[in-house]
Amino acid sequence: MSQTPLLSVSNLTASVDEKTILHGIDLNVAAGETHVLMGPNGAGKSTMGHVIMGDPVYTVNEGTITFDGQDITELSTDKRSRAGLFLSFQAPVEIPGVPLSSFLRAQIAGRPGLEMKGKEFRRRVKELAAELDMDIAYLNRELGVGFSGGEKKKVEMLQLLLLQPKLAILDETDSGLDVDALGVVSRGMDAYRKATDGSLVIITHNTRILEHLKVDRVHVMVNGRIVREDDASLIPWIDANGFDSFEREAAQAAGGAEAAAQASDETR
Amino acid sequence: MDALKIQHVNAMPAPTWGWLKMNDVSIEIPADLERKCRVEIEAASELYEPNVSFEGALAALQERLDAARADAPVDTRAMLIAATGEDHGAEELDVPALSTYERRAVLSEHADDVARDFETGVGIDMRAYLNFLAGGTPVLATEAGGEAEATIRVTAQAGEASGASLDIVAAPDSTLELALSLDSAAEEPAFIGSTLRIFAGARSRVNLTVYLTASDAVTVVEDSGFVLDEDARVTVRHVVLGGAFTATGLAADLRGDRSRIDIDTSYLASGTEQRDFNYIIRHRGKRTLSNMDANGVLTGTSKKCLRGTIDLIHGAKGAQGNERETVLLASKGVDNKTVPTILCDEDDVAGNHGATIGHVRPEQLFYAACRGLSQEETEALFLSAKLEEAALNAPDDAIRSNVIRLGNALIPQFAEEFDFDDEGDLEEEIA
Amino acid sequence: MAKQRTEVADIDRSLYDFRYGEEGFERLDAGLTPDIVREISERKNEPAWMLKHRLKSLEIYNKFPDPTWGPGIEGLDMDHIVTYVKPNTDQQATWDEVPDDIKNTFERLGIPEAERSYLAGVGAQYDSELVYHNMQGTAAQMGIVYSGIEEALQEPKWEAMIREKFMTLIPPTDHKFAALHGAVWSGGSFVYVPKGVKLDFPLQSYFRLNAKGAGQFEHTLIIVEDDADLHFIEGCSAPKYNVANLHAGAVELFVGKRAHLRYSTIENWSKNMYNLNTKRARCEEEGEIEWISGSFGSHVGYLYPMSVLVGRKSRSSFTGITFAGAGQNLDTGCKVVLGAPETSASVETKSISKGGGISTFRSSIVATPAAEGSAASVSCQSLMLDDISRSDTIPAMDIRAKNVDIGHEATIGRIGDDKIFYLMSRGISEEEARTMIVNGFANPVSKELPLEYAVEMNNLIKLEMEGAIG
Repeated sequence: MSQTPLLSVSNLTASVDEKTILHGIDLNVAAGETHVLMGPNGAGKSTMGHVIMGDPVYTVNEGTITFDGQDITELSTDKRSRAGLFLSFQAPVEIPGVPLSSFLRAQIAGRPGLEMKGKEFRRRVKELAAELDMDIAYLNRELGVGFSGGEKKKVEMLQLLLLQPKLAILDETDSGLDVDALGVVSRGMDAYRKATDGSLVIITHNTRILEHLKVDRVHVMVNGRIVREDDASLIPWIDANGFDSFEREAAQAAGGAEAAAQASDETR
Repeated sequence: MDALKIQHVNAMPAPTWGWLKMNDVSIEIPADLERKCRVEIEAASELYEPNVSFEGALAALQERLDAARADAPVDTRAMLIAATGEDHGAEELDVPALSTYERRAVLSEHADDVARDFETGVGIDMRAYLNFLAGGTPVLATEAGGEAEATIRVTAQAGEASGASLDIVAAPDSTLELALSLDSAAEEPAFIGSTLRIFAGARSRVNLTVYLTASDAVTVVEDSGFVLDEDARVTVRHVVLGGAFTATGLAADLRGDRSRIDIDTSYLASGTEQRDFNYIIRHRGKRTLSNMDANGVLTGTSKKCLRGTIDLIHGAKGAQGNERETVLLASKGVDNKTVPTILCDEDDVAGNHGATIGHVRPEQLFYAACRGLSQEETEALFLSAKLEEAALNAPDDAIRSNVIRLGNALIPQFAEEFDFDDEGDLEEEIA
Repeated sequence: MAKQRTEVADIDRSLYDFRYGEEGFERLDAGLTPDIVREISERKNEPAWMLKHRLKSLEIYNKFPDPTWGPGIEGLDMDHIVTYVKPNTDQQATWDEVPDDIKNTFERLGIPEAERSYLAGVGAQYDSELVYHNMQGTAAQMGIVYSGIEEALQEPKWEAMIREKFMTLIPPTDHKFAALHGAVWSGGSFVYVPKGVKLDFPLQSYFRLNAKGAGQFEHTLIIVEDDADLHFIEGCSAPKYNVANLHAGAVELFVGKRAHLRYSTIENWSKNMYNLNTKRARCEEEGEIEWISGSFGSHVGYLYPMSVLVGRKSRSSFTGITFAGAGQNLDTGCKVVLGAPETSASVETKSISKGGGISTFRSSIVATPAAEGSAASVSCQSLMLDDISRSDTIPAMDIRAKNVDIGHEATIGRIGDDKIFYLMSRGISEEEARTMIVNGFANPVSKELPLEYAVEMNNLIKLEMEGAIG
């Protein structure tokens, strides 16, 4: 593959409260590809999604993020969204006082090709809700307030389908725990792939969500570093062996006696 | 002529430090307004009942209360001795030194006089002005067990002062739906106001929905006073969206056992507008219940003051009063004042209050930004959401179009953005 | 059958209720005139600016109306409050030199013993004058000054500092009793903690008002310089008379950058006392003031310690309990001004009403436009122990800053019958059960006090709760 990647992360180092969480990450995703970012708990996978999206909680110390030919490293989050990036959350943030429908309408306002007038918008959202098997009564409810786990996921997928981003990062770290949520996400991903030729980056440590999905690349992350990259064949291997070997290698590679000791403690 | 200044409006029953300037508010009625009664009452003719009066309803209730009270034991509480006698200073060490308010409260409780205790939220001086504007007070009354609806619309044009005064008596077991609209699109100073005395008879249900949608040149005063008989249930929805200065005053006397009032307030203030609220809930009957829930958004350099008093009076065994307020301060320069008071002269009661005054949180801003909204757009969302909610839940099309007119003045293309779904005809009307 | 209400007997305050005669004491005539003020000043051999301040304050006092929002003070006849009573002793530095009756008073209150066991310094005021002042050598070596404020005024170095700060936090124009204080103040302590000095043991002042129909107007001025740390304890009591006594002290606290001051008070005035005390602290950058306040006594109480947070990231916390029994109307609470970015304040109060007593929680939280990013939380709980008492909660908030988080929670109620039943089902008597629950209710305050004071407070609660139950 020689095409220019849609998303290119290069040598990305990021920290929070002076603690470095991501160390020199490189990641390239071409248009239309599906990538999976895997790794044990606390490896920095979710952070990665947030940093790509420009969460002000994190400081980028080094490296660049390029998207669709534009350096977005310094771009504000809303502009990244309008450039065609999407990050799904484990659950939408609760915004009491703002009904879901108002929130959705505000998202598409001013987006070329997506902006719709009242009736058209309503029709479109109803269609998408039907596709996700979501009760339209939720549209008038305050965002996220009192939604169940499955409903929260539906709200996230609904926004994915409404915005049709060029690249969607789906943070599904916890979805493996909830069968309903898992179904919603699978349905959302299918619909997204059908409707657009967009790229997907799926963050997970659970391979069940990847069934029936054609995966192009798998990246394994440990302690804030990408330690392994391979094709889809890596998935069944991880299924069988877990992340232990990656963690040990990472500890040895780091050379830190302390880290090694810690890793061997855990596996002893 | 100079502006007419009315003082001590919306005074809270138990005042606090004067320097906070929260105890009450002064209202200036713009100078040279022409008194012009632009009031519309839509109600079935059966509701106009010449033989029923608010005073009569109170007197009948008083008779029953007096009969029940005849067997009550003599009250020997120290506070009563303190209120009826001289201040003994430290000489009578078991008699507490009462504050002005406490003395008044104990005396009122001792007299147990429904008519004398009657009050409305804005206070007598302001109410007198509203009565003057209205010129007269019609009575609307339901029949026992009946169901009825009424809509009251008050408006004014630039340079006018217009007011309504009504007495409402809901007979036992009846249901009354009331809608009140205070609206004016005047671009020059004007005044609109209303004052209601409402008696909710035994087991009756009274639902009152009030919309204030005046333009930012208009002063608005909305006043009400309720008396609830046994098992009466009152629901009030205050939607305060527009007006240069608005005062909303409500007092409720939960006199009958097990009576209940639920008040839901939704407000918005933008530009240099000012909102003032005074809620006084007096729990006198046993196992009475009140819930006050206020939710507001302040933008621009607007100001707001909300006084909410839950008064759990001696004898109101098993009563419960709850008050909750959530305010979003969406821009720099707003001034938000809140005094949530609980007065309690009874032990077998529960009073709860909570207030949250805050801003759009970083995680909310980030989430919205992930979906393409800048900070300003996210903050504006709260404002438009409030207007949309008000439009969706408006009691009728006329009130809804008032909301939309106001929305269009505040948010570009509000009407276009707003989707009425099944309200197709309305959309055409606006276009 | 109607449920029998258990009667809780009145407090036995006899522990504090002893008094001694006033033979040989000087008394000024009752009533308040410029001449009396001049005389006070003259006797104290004060600098001229102080006399000027007194006379100005008196002028302001005479113009002030009584407060209209709080408990009645008509019972306070100012013409009969003797404003100045000087005990027949000068200030001493060892208890042996203190006259026997006064020493006995403080012995009975346990002050010398507390000093021996855990205090770094003690000041004791008897009526209008300090009768005892002592501080451990170690504290003095650290450069800490703890002396009578009048004594400090005689030293040029401290006089300049006092003049710069005196009644700047509580100006005489603040309220009627601040003006009165400005005119007739007498006695009180001056504490100076130099930069970076941290004192591990508390300093204590004890105020005892013994004379009948008198007033006590001590002034406490504490300066905690940058990075310094101090815990100051104040105790108050008085014997019971059948005429009104007045306490109108003033406490001014200056907390420097990154400095910390904890100010603890257990107030147990007798029930003929009008306690109209004013306390205020000002915090510079990252400075912290902690108020611990227990109000038990007094016929009428007006007490609202105030924190003025003028430095970025400065903090205030207030933990208070008020117990109003028969004949008491205690209006207490606190005030906070969030006046700089990222300041924070927390307020946690408990109030208990019993036997016809009235307690009012009153507060104000003001966030100025400068207070961006600040936070405040207020929580007040009121417990009604019977149905003849009263408990009001009047919290005001005025918020003018963006990006602030202000939370307020208040509840009023009684001890649930289920709780009493549960405890009684485990073999605990009703009286014990009630006391246990009330002590638990008061725990957030008592756990903040030094052990000896926590014990005293629990004893006070026990005294209040004791009686013929069942």
